[in-house]
Amino acid sequence: MSDKKTFVIQRFDPDRDEAPRQQSYEVPVQPDWKVLDGLNFIKDELDGTLSHRWSCRMAVCGSCGMMVNGKPSLTCKDALANYGDRVEVTPLANFPVVRDLVVEMDGFMEKLKAVKPWIMVAKERAVEEGTYRQSPEELEYFKQFSMCINCMLCYSACPVVGNEPEFLGPAAIALGHRYNMDTRDEGQRERNEIFRGEGTVFACSYANECSEVCPKHVDPAAAVNQAKINAVIDWATSFVVPRGGK
Amino acid sequence: MRHLLLKLEPVIWLLFGQGIMIGTMLLTAYLAVVGVAIPLGIVSPDALAYERALRLGSSLIGRVVLFALIALPMWKGAHHVRHLSLDMGGLSRDAVVAPILYGLALLGNLLALIAVVRLH
Amino acid sequence: MARAAHPHAMSPSRPGRTRTAPPQMPAQFPTSGRYFTYTLFGSTGILYLLCGFGALRAVWLLGSGRTAWEGLQRDYAQAPLILLHVVCLAAVIFVGVRFFRLFPKAQPAKIGPAKPPPRPILHAGLYAAWIVVSGGLALVMAGGIF
Repeated sequence: MSDKKTFVIQRFDPDRDEAPRQQSYEVPVQPDWKVLDGLNFIKDELDGTLSHRWSCRMAVCGSCGMMVNGKPSLTCKDALANYGDRVEVTPLANFPVVRDLVVEMDGFMEKLKAVKPWIMVAKERAVEEGTYRQSPEELEYFKQFSMCINCMLCYSACPVVGNEPEFLGPAAIALGHRYNMDTRDEGQRERNEIFRGEGTVFACSYANECSEVCPKHVDPAAAVNQAKINAVIDWATSFVVPRGGK
Repeated sequence: MRHLLLKLEPVIWLLFGQGIMIGTMLLTAYLAVVGVAIPLGIVSPDALAYERALRLGSSLIGRVVLFALIALPMWKGAHHVRHLSLDMGGLSRDAVVAPILYGLALLGNLLALIAVVRLH
Repeated sequence: MARAAHPHAMSPSRPGRTRTAPPQMPAQFPTSGRYFTYTLFGSTGILYLLCGFGALRAVWLLGSGRTAWEGLQRDYAQAPLILLHVVCLAAVIFVGVRFFRLFPKAQPAKIGPAKPPPRPILHAGLYAAWIVVSGGLALVMAGGIF
């Protein structure tokens, strides 16, 4: 015997709709269902025109982020039992909407790339020199920040992202900080200049909402605010230690 | 203006951080004693009678503490009010709002310096 | 109903191939759920500016002679100002508690050779500093010492 829940979903077809609208569906739900199961039921059985992103169903790919009853949610992880009879699903806040529950991701990808998320070294190691050696303690400096699945829930929760388009945002800064804290990396100076540039980490007002909604406990707020301290130290030392050419 | 604000951000953020940290600790005592306890008679008004208040305030450490008490909260205040404006969709007016707020804090800091120096 | 975000929030540098619906702020922003506490925290900035300029006035009047100082003390004894000071005190404590909760995790794991103490110890240390500094200043102001 299954319960019925009413899914109220934001629809938007750029070819047909002036503006987004709402559409309701009655969905028979099973007790162990997640929100994503309800959406897939709608797509499979009720309305094949519904568009939404999803993939792994196990909270590792980051595809299925949406707003559920006004809060950012990873819909494959979020149990329907957490909600009452009415489940309102809208696309991620702070993002332009391409169609229905699908948001424009390219802006996010650009911010990720902007922090140069790769090991930067002045001189590549020769094969004969062997591998990098990193202790478990050194791994702990950044490991937590490497767990991001790029689900973008933090961007939806962040009041600064919605108001300041240049802001790099939680995931991008956490990713850049991850590399800054990696002992193999020598690109801190370059990244800290990016962190003090147009996308400035100092735009963060420490709402901490990014960390509240992160499904992987990355704690991007910690990363961003640690990055502020590193950026200040880098700024201060730039007066003492001259910066040469590239 | 945006470029200037970006260049000054590390300093402003440091001052804001101290405004919260030190400013909060100092303001707690000031508000509790001067603002509440003495007016309500919980502490005798003689504690900050003119002679004693002046003696404490015009000592070297007194001047430093008073300066910090006045100056640092202004940076916290200015920075947070600016962020409040930005949160309310005020990015386009930030080039005007931010200099006004930080200018106010700077002016307050200069007046604070004069105020503690002229204590005698 | 969510309010509109900045029209270019999260927009890519080049527009996509189809038109998009504009970004919306999260529905609870700015005064519902946890955003209420956040907005309140930001709003204490107004009170901090007030306190800073209020303290400035007090020190200025102290430096202006006995009559001015005693006038200030009479002002401070009025109910509206006592109420304002109580509200400011509540705001300052609220700010301290929230900031101290968030401060420990904001310390990088390593700055050069230096590492911060474990977070709970840092958290407790902040409160200890608050008690010592505020308590000490309060004792001095209230006539307990010096």
